[in-house]
Amino acid sequence: MYLGLDVGGTHTDTVIIDNSGVIAKSKIATTHDNLLSCITDSFSAVLANVDPSKIQRVNLSTTLTTNAIIQNKCEKVGMFVSGGPGIHPASYSIGDFYYIIDGQIDHRGTEITLLNLKQLDKAIKKCKKKGIKVYAVISKFSTRNPEHEQLIAQKLGDVDFISVGHRISGNLNFPRRIATAYYNTAVWRLYNSFSYAVAESLRAWGVTAPVNILKADGGTIPLHISQTMPVESILSGPAASVIGTMALCNITEDAVMLDIGGTTCDIALFADGAPLIEKDGIRIDDRNTLVRSLKTKSIGIGGDSVIKINGTSVTTGPERLGMSMAEGGNNPTIIDALNVLKRINFMDTSRSMEGLLALGKKYRLSVDDIANAAITYAMDVIYNAVMAMIEEVNARPVYTIYEFLQGKVIKPKTIYLIGGPAKTLSNIIARRFGLNVKVPQHCQVANAIGAAVARTTVEIELFADTQRCRLLIPNLEVNTRIPAGYTLDNAIDDAKNYMIQYLTTLGVDEKEREIEIVDTYSFNMVKGFETVGKNIRVRCQVKPGILHQCKDILKI
Amino acid sequence: MKAQSSLGVVFFPAFDWAIHPLHPEREERLLYTLDQLNEEGIFDVEGITQYKPGLATPEDIMRTHFCFPDVSSVTTESHLISAGGTIKAAALVLDKIVNKSFALVRPPGHHAMKVVHGARGFCNINIEAVMVEYIRENYPVKKIAIVDTDCHHGDGTQDIYWHDKDILYISLHQDGRTLYPGTGAIHELGGPNALGTTINIPLPPNTSDEGFLMAMKRVVLPILKDFNPDIIINSAGQDNHYSDPITNMNFSASGYAQLTDMLNADIAVLEGGYSIQGALPYVNLGITLAMAGLDYSYVHEPDYAIKDLTQDHEITKYIKKLCDKVLQRYEECKKPSFKLMPGNYDVRKKEIYYDTDNIHEMQLESIMVCDQCRGVLKIETTSSVNPLCLGIEIPSGACDQCINEGYRLLDHALAGNRYKYVQLIDRINKKYVMY
Repeated sequence: MYLGLDVGGTHTDTVIIDNSGVIAKSKIATTHDNLLSCITDSFSAVLANVDPSKIQRVNLSTTLTTNAIIQNKCEKVGMFVSGGPGIHPASYSIGDFYYIIDGQIDHRGTEITLLNLKQLDKAIKKCKKKGIKVYAVISKFSTRNPEHEQLIAQKLGDVDFISVGHRISGNLNFPRRIATAYYNTAVWRLYNSFSYAVAESLRAWGVTAPVNILKADGGTIPLHISQTMPVESILSGPAASVIGTMALCNITEDAVMLDIGGTTCDIALFADGAPLIEKDGIRIDDRNTLVRSLKTKSIGIGGDSVIKINGTSVTTGPERLGMSMAEGGNNPTIIDALNVLKRINFMDTSRSMEGLLALGKKYRLSVDDIANAAITYAMDVIYNAVMAMIEEVNARPVYTIYEFLQGKVIKPKTIYLIGGPAKTLSNIIARRFGLNVKVPQHCQVANAIGAAVARTTVEIELFADTQRCRLLIPNLEVNTRIPAGYTLDNAIDDAKNYMIQYLTTLGVDEKEREIEIVDTYSFNMVKGFETVGKNIRVRCQVKPGILHQCKDILKI
Repeated sequence: MKAQSSLGVVFFPAFDWAIHPLHPEREERLLYTLDQLNEEGIFDVEGITQYKPGLATPEDIMRTHFCFPDVSSVTTESHLISAGGTIKAAALVLDKIVNKSFALVRPPGHHAMKVVHGARGFCNINIEAVMVEYIRENYPVKKIAIVDTDCHHGDGTQDIYWHDKDILYISLHQDGRTLYPGTGAIHELGGPNALGTTINIPLPPNTSDEGFLMAMKRVVLPILKDFNPDIIINSAGQDNHYSDPITNMNFSASGYAQLTDMLNADIAVLEGGYSIQGALPYVNLGITLAMAGLDYSYVHEPDYAIKDLTQDHEITKYIKKLCDKVLQRYEECKKPSFKLMPGNYDVRKKEIYYDTDNIHEMQLESIMVCDQCRGVLKIETTSSVNPLCLGIEIPSGACDQCINEGYRLLDHALAGNRYKYVQLIDRINKKYVMY
């Protein structure tokens, strides 16, 4: 049995699935001020009639860290940043305790100037005097040479917590590394007390299964890993829906997922059945991060989008002013339009009619015209957003002639529709897109199902420089010597082996260690007219998807 | 961070293409530039966007060049993507999607001349010229200035626009007496219909930031102001850098950024530059920041602080004098001492060596002296790889007489069997045909 829980903006959804499918589900209001409360209530609701000891895995998707960052309920972070040739690190200042330490590393990982230890000591003293207990250390090109970060961390000594830049990701991007390390530290204490409480609550229910946290890339990480990498738990909501849709439908083709809720419509894309991943990482609180994420887009159209009229033009979204009139709200919405057209029969249809009649009278338009125009408008907004997203993906930069000429072009064949008004809208959407639309069963709790069945994901980038005989996998803290004759094939083998080792320490079952090589490059480094070494890069991942055990359960 | 001026970067490093594995123009060339730009998070800066190049069509090439025996024989996909990158850069600016653009693409193009039999100076087709002709064909743009800041004289671009008074070509380069291709002396000023729209500033070896910026201020900017172009293009070669392995100059990343700032070009196109670790990452970053109107004052090479790049006093004196001479020549072009009679051909005999492909070419180039238009152009060419061929160009804005003359030449050529291949460029009727 697998338990999945997804804390959403409005509802917290929970399911338990086993061989017979969904055996328990719950949907309760999210208590934003005290997330633990709606989480423990959800456990109560689904665990009441099952044997807790039979649960094999618990996966949670929560909004705790997202909300903390957006509402700025963050702890003070001591930031230690050292730059290098290029843009000055002062440009990326974040928080009130941002210290720039002189010292430079270049793009090959060569130390150009030593770290200024005097400056560092002074900054450390200042922070400690101010009572700062948690820190983040980031240096430019630390994924090519982590020594400056390691030295700063070592000098910081015994503090509550330190985020070290190169441990976050093997990707190059100094500003993102700074922001990500900052957020990771800023939410660390809050997240840890929360995660201990969740673990405690599960233990109290008699659940002994491993607990995992859902990430924005649709994969999970074990709870104990998330305790040092809490930033990985941000913005996992849309990913839960995407994985849920994959679990409920056997997607093998290019496709679009639309998750239409009350306020928004989330869009995701699939290439040959695999969800697309954002190139660098997700954006939060107006800052870009290195947190890996699925490529999703949220637009302000949902069932509760208010219908607006300007002269004779009818529009809707992105505002939501409470619920539809049918549900007791004060403004007619898309739901009311659907009610009036008898596409649905949702709660108080007479109030929907009342609202649209009033609008019609004011603007001298018929109720049907307004309802149809509003729905057409909403469909156009969704259609245009999907097309723009596909166009953007197909226009993404490529760096080789091979990719330029042979690169994959996305052409969706199916639309998978989930969320509250999914069933009602399927015909309208099918017509607007001219594509086949599928609405899966249990689509109202697809997100919780997605959380339940998501597999553990990891991404690494191996970097080898045979001139310097150095191999680095920054986020696994691998930094080792290689022979000068090291080849791309060696690198691919090593990347896989280090990945398997790491997955083993995470407790990932052998069946779930499906490693995919994403990119490989091997450049001859030439000096004068002589090859002096190879610059090798291998990126590999366990890509987001569904646990094999669950595939059997879901019969896909 | 937000760009003061929105910038589109068309980035295509062609990680799977090289002239030879050990050639300066190899896969690795833009690797460290990409690492630097990625680590700086340059494409996350609000207002700086990365774009994918397009693919130039055979028509785009034939509008610009006489390719013998045909386009596909002298180009590979990499050239069409690189030229497609410049076309994309131009379209981004002219369609007002961005204020400025930078085509960070390879292979380069500024040694490719009007006639193409193969590769010279690492170039097959002239990617700036393909872009310029694309612009003139598709947008109401008449006057364009190309400022070439590559260390090598852009003899290809000069050749293509030698007779074109609507294109101002200015080259700053290491003196041809000391470096490939050897041309670019101050007396090279353009053909009879376009005198003074080719300007050469041959700088002495070891010129530093001071000398380059002096030439910019004293010569380039005033002439640009005088010409008043609709668009400015920078052929942004980066081999004037002090660490470049195949040149002898002392220009720095900071100098390149300042030059970019002064020039304020609408479109920049990467040309040469082969110090791929020590210069390109910083020069490209400097150019990108300067074009986007961002602070570039911290962009320095790792070894900048320990290098003494102060310009020798004698060199400064020489450059001052050189600037005066160039300006004087430019002024003289406005009142030429004698004028050729319109209606006659002015003929040049050229011998051209293609160093990259080891091809020898002989050319007889005839331009119709015309006071109505740019004049019909006729080039008879033979090389070690092609028998005698003919190219006829009826330029955009051609007068009726030149159009008629162009077709008379064509009919005459096709009636006989002197030429193995004949290519027509008819810009009036947009006809680009190989016979």
